Amino acid sequence: MSIHTPVRIGPAEVKLIEQLGARGATAAAERLSVVGLPTRKVESYHYTDLKMLLRSVPELADATKAISEPALRIPGAHRIPMTNGVADLDGAEPQGLRSAMVPGSSLSERDDLLVRLNMALAAKTLKLEINGDVGSVIHIDRRTEGDAGHMNDSVHLFVADGGKVTVIETFSGTDEAHLSNHASYVAVGKDAEVTHILLDLSAAQATNFASAEYHVAAGAKIRTVTIHAGSVLSRINLFARFEGEGAHGDFTGLNLVTEGQHSDITLELNHAVPRCSSKPLFKQIARGRSVAAFQGKIIVARDAQKTDAKLMMQGLMLSDEAQILSKPELEIFADDVVCGHGSTVGALDDDHMFYLSSRGIPQAEAEAMLVRGFLEEVLDPIADEALHEALEGVVVQWLQGTK
Amino acid sequence: MTTPMLEIRNLHARIEDREILKGVNLIVPAGQVHAVMGRNGSGKSTLSYVLAGKEDYEVTEGEVLLDGESILELDPAERASKGLFLAFQYPIEIPGVATMTFLKAAINSQRKARGEGELSTPDFMRAVKDAGRDLHIDADMLKRALNVGFSGGEKKRAEILQMALLKPKMCVLDETDSGLDIDALKVVSEGVNALRGPGRAMLVITHYQRLLNHIVPDLVHVFSDGRVVESGGKELALELEAKGYAGFDEQPTSGAAA
Repeated sequence: MSIHTPVRIGPAEVKLIEQLGARGATAAAERLSVVGLPTRKVESYHYTDLKMLLRSVPELADATKAISEPALRIPGAHRIPMTNGVADLDGAEPQGLRSAMVPGSSLSERDDLLVRLNMALAAKTLKLEINGDVGSVIHIDRRTEGDAGHMNDSVHLFVADGGKVTVIETFSGTDEAHLSNHASYVAVGKDAEVTHILLDLSAAQATNFASAEYHVAAGAKIRTVTIHAGSVLSRINLFARFEGEGAHGDFTGLNLVTEGQHSDITLELNHAVPRCSSKPLFKQIARGRSVAAFQGKIIVARDAQKTDAKLMMQGLMLSDEAQILSKPELEIFADDVVCGHGSTVGALDDDHMFYLSSRGIPQAEAEAMLVRGFLEEVLDPIADEALHEALEGVVVQWLQGTK
Repeated sequence: MTTPMLEIRNLHARIEDREILKGVNLIVPAGQVHAVMGRNGSGKSTLSYVLAGKEDYEVTEGEVLLDGESILELDPAERASKGLFLAFQYPIEIPGVATMTFLKAAINSQRKARGEGELSTPDFMRAVKDAGRDLHIDADMLKRALNVGFSGGEKKRAEILQMALLKPKMCVLDETDSGLDIDALKVVSEGVNALRGPGRAMLVITHYQRLLNHIVPDLVHVFSDGRVVESGGKELALELEAKGYAGFDEQPTSGAAA
């Protein structure tokens, strides 16, 4: 028998309940007032106790104009600026892309606080439809502008059967202590080939939350790259689901965490149908006093025979005070599958360092070479050269401590 | 007398509590190739690591002079920029770092440390191509991650390629013959011989005499229990091959004749 004890509601929760109420999301407000923000007792937030970490919530952000500079410039890419949830769709669209703003959030209902908040608070969704092979990279430049604000925005990416596209979404904004909560819904059609990148470059004081859903149809190939290289507090939810046979997914990520930051990437990957393969690979680097957390759960349904899934987390500690946390999980209900998971954490290898320095490469440069080498496995498969170079630049800037 | 390229005076070094080098004395003049021979565990490889500046070893006594300058206080990168090069017995595999990227970083770091300008990309490419040709190293191998998936022969050839590109004054070759078949040994030896010259000295550390048929030394030093116990001409290597190391164990001499 469990005794219901009402949770203590803090100022962050009070503000969120008020905001949900003001937008008419009574059920979500009610629920939050009963359960509060997730603590580490909630398994999916085990390493990211939002009750402890999220101390305050700013006022809801209004629509405003873009003030900040784009956080990333990718030569040759089609950039769609999106400011406080509203996309600027003026520019000429590349062939195969159609875009529009539609009402509401793109996410599916789910028992997760960030999802509930976005569904209640994101007024509009930028909807992109991809047909055929879109030659140029699409860059959705999602920014949180103005004074410190709580901003919920949403994107829906629909890739038709046989479509081929690379989409990068960047999160950034002004230097204020924003709370941003982004949503992305990615539907990958039959035999489509999609590369989807989420890159957090938010300012040092900002809190950045994001939830991305991936629905993968038969024969499709998807590569996702989730990169944290900004924001003091970050949680990114990835919900992926194979819905047609013979599909393949490379779900990858770089969690780059520096002094004072806490960043959590949590993947839930559902092999709902037979004969799909997946290779989740996440690399985390932590320096200073910081926390990098990764949770990866692969669920293989009873019917999903011949599933081939291999989950890997590799962590690199650059300081004794950093924490790298990892929780790989497999939930397998089928009996004819190949599934594995691994998790390693270490410091830079002394023998590697000695070899490089014995050739005259100074310590700092040798370290940077090894760190880039460690991350290369994730960035290397990105085919578009300009995009690859831009992401290398993000990593280099992070290493140099300028981001 | 001119300044020797390498002078080791009464060098003692230990790892944790174990003393491995117990008073090494050795002089290698510029332009000469000296061999150090000794059985496994005699401290030959330790000597090479201590010269290169590996952190695991603590020098407790003695001095090492490179071209007249003390190097024991320098870190490995500084020693390299002063012209010291160690060809590793087991070159380290470094995933994710392309061989070309590494070579360029090494060359330019050394040039920068010496106050020289960076090598332009075309000049660098030309230098690599020229040096690689004689060592049978093709562009494909250089695109791969450093030493990753290289065969034993490829690794040793890559070491000699680095030596050719970095143009060190003092080369220490640690068991460069290990893991090589006879053809690879020939290629590597020719590569080393091509780098012999008046401004450069070499210390060739080896277990077997066979390497010295290809790289003919000016002087051979016998290493036993952490010090040089005998020095002589190249015929000393043949004597060792015939009689084994046992005969040298009980007669430590007072350092090496140069």
